[in-house]
Amino acid sequence: MKYVFSLICATIKLVKSNERGKVFVRKIVITLLTLICGFLFYLTVMSATKVFTTDWQLPETKVTAQSNFRLVLISQDLDTPFWNQVGAEAQKQAKSDNVSLEVWGSYGNNHDDFLKKMEVAIYSQVDGIIVQGLDTDRFKELAKTKAAAYGIPIITVANDVSVEESLRRTYVGSDQYLAGNMIAKQLVKDMGVTGDVILIHNSEQQFYQEQRLMGIKDILKNYPDINIVDGETNHTREQVIAVTKGLLNKEPNVDAFIAVDANIAETMIQEIERRSQVIPYYIYSFGDDTESNTLLKQGKLDGIIEQSPGEIGKLSVKLMVDWLNNETNPLHLEGYFTDIRVLKAKDIR
Amino acid sequence: MNSILKNIWVLAIVVLSIMVTIWISLTSYNNKMQSQYNNILERYLIMNEVSSISQQIVTDLNNYFVDQSLIKKKALNHDKFKIITMKEEVSKFRSVENDFAIANYENLIDSFIETIDRALMFRTEEESEDYQEALSEATNISMYISEMTLDLIDTELKTYDSFYHGIIDRSEELKVLGVRLLMLITLLLLLFTYWFSKRITTPLKKLTLAASELSKGRFDLKVEVESNDEIAFLAKTFDRMRININNYLVEIKQKAQLENELQKNKLLLQESQLHSLQSQINPHFLFNTLDTLSKKAYLEGSEQTSDLLVSVADLLRYNLRNLDKTTYLSDEVYVLRQYIEIQKARFTERLQFHMDIDPVSLDIQLPRLTLQPIIENAIIHAIEPLEDGGAIWFRAVNGLDRVTIEIQDHGPGMSADKVSSILEGQSNETEGHSTGIGVSNVIKRLTLFYGVEDIINIESALGIGTKVVLNIPRKRRMDKDD
Repeated sequence: MKYVFSLICATIKLVKSNERGKVFVRKIVITLLTLICGFLFYLTVMSATKVFTTDWQLPETKVTAQSNFRLVLISQDLDTPFWNQVGAEAQKQAKSDNVSLEVWGSYGNNHDDFLKKMEVAIYSQVDGIIVQGLDTDRFKELAKTKAAAYGIPIITVANDVSVEESLRRTYVGSDQYLAGNMIAKQLVKDMGVTGDVILIHNSEQQFYQEQRLMGIKDILKNYPDINIVDGETNHTREQVIAVTKGLLNKEPNVDAFIAVDANIAETMIQEIERRSQVIPYYIYSFGDDTESNTLLKQGKLDGIIEQSPGEIGKLSVKLMVDWLNNETNPLHLEGYFTDIRVLKAKDIR
Repeated sequence: MNSILKNIWVLAIVVLSIMVTIWISLTSYNNKMQSQYNNILERYLIMNEVSSISQQIVTDLNNYFVDQSLIKKKALNHDKFKIITMKEEVSKFRSVENDFAIANYENLIDSFIETIDRALMFRTEEESEDYQEALSEATNISMYISEMTLDLIDTELKTYDSFYHGIIDRSEELKVLGVRLLMLITLLLLLFTYWFSKRITTPLKKLTLAASELSKGRFDLKVEVESNDEIAFLAKTFDRMRININNYLVEIKQKAQLENELQKNKLLLQESQLHSLQSQINPHFLFNTLDTLSKKAYLEGSEQTSDLLVSVADLLRYNLRNLDKTTYLSDEVYVLRQYIEIQKARFTERLQFHMDIDPVSLDIQLPRLTLQPIIENAIIHAIEPLEDGGAIWFRAVNGLDRVTIEIQDHGPGMSADKVSSILEGQSNETEGHSTGIGVSNVIKRLTLFYGVEDIINIESALGIGTKVVLNIPRKRRMDKDD
């Protein structure tokens, strides 16, 4: 500020002093004005170009509808690692097969929402529905009558329903019977041939749970000294706690727990923890979701079944596209089983 | 010619074209934006209409079920037709991003129409249960359509998000542009106006300056204006006028000069008359005779006569020399003394002559025969007519740059008219003068010789006397008169 002031003073003195000073100041003023004009012009041009250039990208409009297949993958439990992986791989496969695929679904096992999505998909007359099986009458009715009426093929993934009741084309996912077998075998291996085992399953007897139970029991029946106790609960937290409590009261000397429905496992373990140490019990679950993995890491679970979600997504899309293209006809009704293996607590540690 | 009018027009047109350009660009921009807005709004309106029409159809169907009249059926068919048209409208919104959703939407509408048809069919076949089922299905689908409409609009909003932000940014930028444009145009216009007005006023200022110089009498300054408009033309004309006036002035001066010379020639003529008179006498004969007379008188013991004769000879000799030649005051005074000697011999005691001369003043130059005619004049008017005679004073006083010579008498004096007529050279008396040269001749010669008017002054009063004062400058002003 001081410098500017002194500069102005000097300039004024110069102007007063002589003609040459006047000319000098004239030059300065002209240069200054030119600079200001130029700067303003530059700013104006910049603004004008910003205003008048249309750089926004509107989506390309299409006149004709796409000719490739429209597929929908519907799950009951969106935004879980398992289904994210299924969806991602399915999308990849869809892209390589040049079909459009959208992943729909409900959050947190909301059956109403899930079934609504299913219905919308049917009414939208998509070319194929890949769906997580839900063993309810409504689902079966939708699959059997509605989808069939519109001629939409259905492939179940991850969880199966019986083919007679749903008229699904095929199933892609883990072999639940085999999973049951593997858990049972692991149990025998860990616990030995004698002991009490509590099997807690969801009261909404889903098809895949039946398969798992069957798989477990088929192994365990070879060991007469292993005593099986069935526990039935629904998916609410309170019920799980109550059932677990009841079973622990009834069978205080129990050695192992198997959560046939993976969603039960966490609450069940919490309840067991409240009673005593978790470590002495052999606890198994079928899920490989985040909670199960965490529990496994903490050593509270002794083993879980690890599935192959990526393969499920990929294979289901591939089979659907093949079927729509009439390449593999007919599909195997019993299903295409993806890899499973038992993940033990000591494997992770 | 680059006229002022033309310049003003150019300025007006430039400003106008800038305004028009801005107006056109802003209007076109506005139109473009408007059409974009309309486009987007139309999508939403159409989608919304689809959902409301589907609900309307369900209501129509219900109404038809309750009251199986033709009007209800007509309304139903009308709405059905409407939704089919709407479906076509919606299909126009197909883009890469919402292809799947649009396809679903269209099929949903198809399913809806199908269900409606089925319901109508069951209705005509009186299958109440199936009809009810179809109706509830239609209600469901209508609900799904509404939901999917919302989804579609939501997707649209997401898709066009950047577009909307672009529009908002642009409208913000438009404000900034407006301010900047205003500033730029204001500055440019101010500068241009300054330059433009300067172009007009600078020549005018110069012209004004030139005019004021001209009014002061300076005709030698050139009027210069560097422009090529009407003012330059005015300046040129003005300059031409100045040159003309200047020429007239020069002419008048020349005329004055000419008149002066004419006056001079008149005097020369007088002199030449004198010369002709002089030439009638053989001077050598006269001088020799006078010398002889002087010597004779001396030898006869009349010394006074002899001196008188010498004085006469000297006086004549002096007078007969060339009048043009200048002389010193000392010579003039010497001749004056000789003349007084001669006049004293004539008037004896009646003539009293007093001389008072500052010796320093003797070296000044003055034309020959200037003092003698004045003294003679004094004698003629102040001594001769009076019985008791009179006195004449002659004084020469040295001043700083001039010498004052006074010749005073106590004669009868003159009236003021007479004095002024003598000074203006109108009276030309030469009667009674020994040399034929009168006072007025002396005055004219002195005026010409020094080139100033106030060289001689006469103070006179009737009955008191006359005093002639000569102010002789030490330096002559006009050397060319030599």
